[in-house]
Amino acid sequence: MRPLAIVILVIFVAAGIVLGALNADLVDYDLAFFRMQLPKGAALLGAMVIGWLLGGLTAWVGVSTRQRRQLRADQKSPLTP
Amino acid sequence: MNHLYVLAALIPVAFVLGWWASRQIGVRRSGAEVSELSSDYFRGLNYLLNEEQDKAIEVFLKLAEYNRDTVETHLALGNLFRRRGEVDRAIRLHQHLVSRPGLTDAMKTVALLELGEDYMRAGLLDRAEALFSDLVAMDAHAPSALRHLIAIYQHERDWHKAIEHARRLEVMTGEEEAPMIAQFYCELAERSRQHGARAEARDYLRQAFECQPDCVRAFMLTGRLLSEDGQHAEAVTAYEAAINADIAFTPDILPPLLNSYARSQQMERAEGFLRDMLGRYHGVSPVLALTHLYRQRDGERAAVDFLTAQLRLRPSVRGLMALIDATMDKIEGEARENFLILRDLTRKLLEGQAMYRCSRCGFGAKAHHWQCPSCKNWSTIRPIHGVASE
Repeated sequence: MRPLAIVILVIFVAAGIVLGALNADLVDYDLAFFRMQLPKGAALLGAMVIGWLLGGLTAWVGVSTRQRRQLRADQKSPLTP
Repeated sequence: MNHLYVLAALIPVAFVLGWWASRQIGVRRSGAEVSELSSDYFRGLNYLLNEEQDKAIEVFLKLAEYNRDTVETHLALGNLFRRRGEVDRAIRLHQHLVSRPGLTDAMKTVALLELGEDYMRAGLLDRAEALFSDLVAMDAHAPSALRHLIAIYQHERDWHKAIEHARRLEVMTGEEEAPMIAQFYCELAERSRQHGARAEARDYLRQAFECQPDCVRAFMLTGRLLSEDGQHAEAVTAYEAAINADIAFTPDILPPLLNSYARSQQMERAEGFLRDMLGRYHGVSPVLALTHLYRQRDGERAAVDFLTAQLRLRPSVRGLMALIDATMDKIEGEARENFLILRDLTRKLLEGQAMYRCSRCGFGAKAHHWQCPSCKNWSTIRPIHGVASE
């Protein structure tokens, strides 16, 4: 499985470089408080990373909260034969 | 502005992908699916290890209710019920498991095997036999099922079927079952002898020797058959072969052997054989036999001298009792009273003693059994060697 993952990773990195090179022109962003200029490819990558991280964080918080609740419930109701 | 729309669409897509990836990693790392069960599972296991089976059963029952697909939990629970003697509950549980739809074939056969064991434990041998036979026919857990079937046939004393299945087990596993099969033939020979079918008994003994050429029991039975037929010289040869095959059985073989020596008037051969035994057997039986022989041939004085000398080499309560009996006639007055007390004491000491012990399970017995009543192994019960016994 590991060699396949490496191959896929290399393909995606290569695709990222190509897309970055093809979309190197700068774009203006007005975020109300400040304005900034970013390459189009970097903006694309940034959006992807931010979305991915937010999704992962939400899932992690959900699972760990449920587990903590379950543990508390187990401790509150000791087993009686 | 077009690229802004693309960005706006990409963020939720990446969010969903990130959420999914995190869930997958979480499931794999912490075993979230298992963790719901694992705390209860380990609690149950803990109770089991602490020998608190009641609490373990409660936990496993709760676990089985939570997740009705946990076949292993049901199996463990059934096993626990059976071990606690609650066979009816074990049977219900395993029957429920077997009838559950969607169970894999492998799990169903495991449940059937367990159900068979429940039936065996409950004494429903016919049902157990039918189940195990089906398993053998399906070639599922066949070695275990065959072992159970052999146990059932032994219990029913159906030695022919026991032999047939033991041979099948031998072929299937490659393990040697010949000593056990030889014992089955000996059982058949003994039964035939008791019914007066002597030729049939000899034929079974021949087959026992084919399975195990040094089968002590077969030699002993041969000796007994020959002795009963009046062929005492041949009986002596058979009994001597029995002792040579396994010297541990000397205490059981010596009495009929001595009888055959006397009947065939071979007392010199008897003395030679017993003298030879003194060198290679450390029990007291040959000493007592030789003492008896010397008493008859050379008189009381020679017998007592021999016994006293041997008792210094191998102290034994049985030997001491023989010495007291031998010297009792010569003692009078208060000393005689003391000797009588001593004799009673030694007799009581011997009465409370187990003379045989199973080398597998440690079961102690006063009489010899070819099959251990406790662990059901063959030829594992042997005379105990020590000061108070042999």
